[in-house]
Amino acid sequence: MDVRIEAVLKRARGYWFIDGFTEMAAGGLFVILAGILLYRGYGPQVPFLDWFLAVTSEIVIAKLIGILVAVLLLWWLKDHFTYPRTGFVRGKRITAAQALVVLRNVMLFLFLPILALLALSLLIASASNVLASMPAWFPAALGLIWGGMYLLAGEWLGLRRFRFLAAIMALTGIAIGICQFTIGLPSFPSKMPSEISALPVLNAVNRTLISLDFLVLISGVFLLISGMLTFLRYRKENPAPYAEES
Amino acid sequence: MSGSLQNLSGLDRVIHEPARLMLVALLSTIESADFLFLLKESGLTKGNLSVHLSRLEEAGYLHVDKTFQGKIPHTDYSLTAEGRTAFNAYRKQLDPILKRRSGSAK
Repeated sequence: MDVRIEAVLKRARGYWFIDGFTEMAAGGLFVILAGILLYRGYGPQVPFLDWFLAVTSEIVIAKLIGILVAVLLLWWLKDHFTYPRTGFVRGKRITAAQALVVLRNVMLFLFLPILALLALSLLIASASNVLASMPAWFPAALGLIWGGMYLLAGEWLGLRRFRFLAAIMALTGIAIGICQFTIGLPSFPSKMPSEISALPVLNAVNRTLISLDFLVLISGVFLLISGMLTFLRYRKENPAPYAEES
Repeated sequence: MSGSLQNLSGLDRVIHEPARLMLVALLSTIESADFLFLLKESGLTKGNLSVHLSRLEEAGYLHVDKTFQGKIPHTDYSLTAEGRTAFNAYRKQLDPILKRRSGSAK
């Protein structure tokens, strides 16, 4: 029996993702968030303040409810579908000290480089130029960050499909950035008085929102597809048990 | 006897057996798992798996928790602190040997 310890460790770590449910839940949430933004962006014309409050509150509520529903749904699906087929696993409990270490590492390796890049860009170009080009660099940077996170997660969990998702997210972000930089994506119809919407900052924010929307939507669709394919393969490889294993 | 060979002779024999090594490695990254998970992941037969789990339990490396989920018996397996320490020590002992081997292969 050939035991490659590292491969076995990765298999146990990646067990949570074996059925594709988590990707489907994340992808569904992404698509819903993008849908809200699209609906509000192209929906009926309302005063800017009402529009802004509606978008922000709906996205916050959708995120909170969506995450709660997704967690409950995942528990239910795992209990009724996955655990009877391939067994029950309880993940390692994280202590408060370990959670703080994770938080510190996220801050160090995610937010500090972003802040450093922003500071560097402000040294190279003026603040107004950085803001004006936000619709191009923001989706590219976000796509690369998401891609990086998926790549690292894929390596840690031994999931090769995460490499593909990482590439999709990074390339989508870069493609949206290039589109915005060259031809420009159609922006949301302005919901503010023309004298305000003419301000470069607000125009940049408006165009950044549509960039973000495309990135979230495309990433969500690919997460859904990846989750569904994983689920179909898992179901085929692990048919419903006839008798309880014990 | 060279240093690496001395390390090899000092390896924990309970863990060094391939099937048990796989079981300990599987359990080392999680809190606990049931029989079905270990059966599917290890590819062992039920009888073989039971024997190896008993051996690990006898060595004090495994904690077995038998409960009921409704009317169905459910058995959870988790590594004890001793089991985790033994697995980490095993890996530390093995690492230099493997590195030396891969170095000489180049």
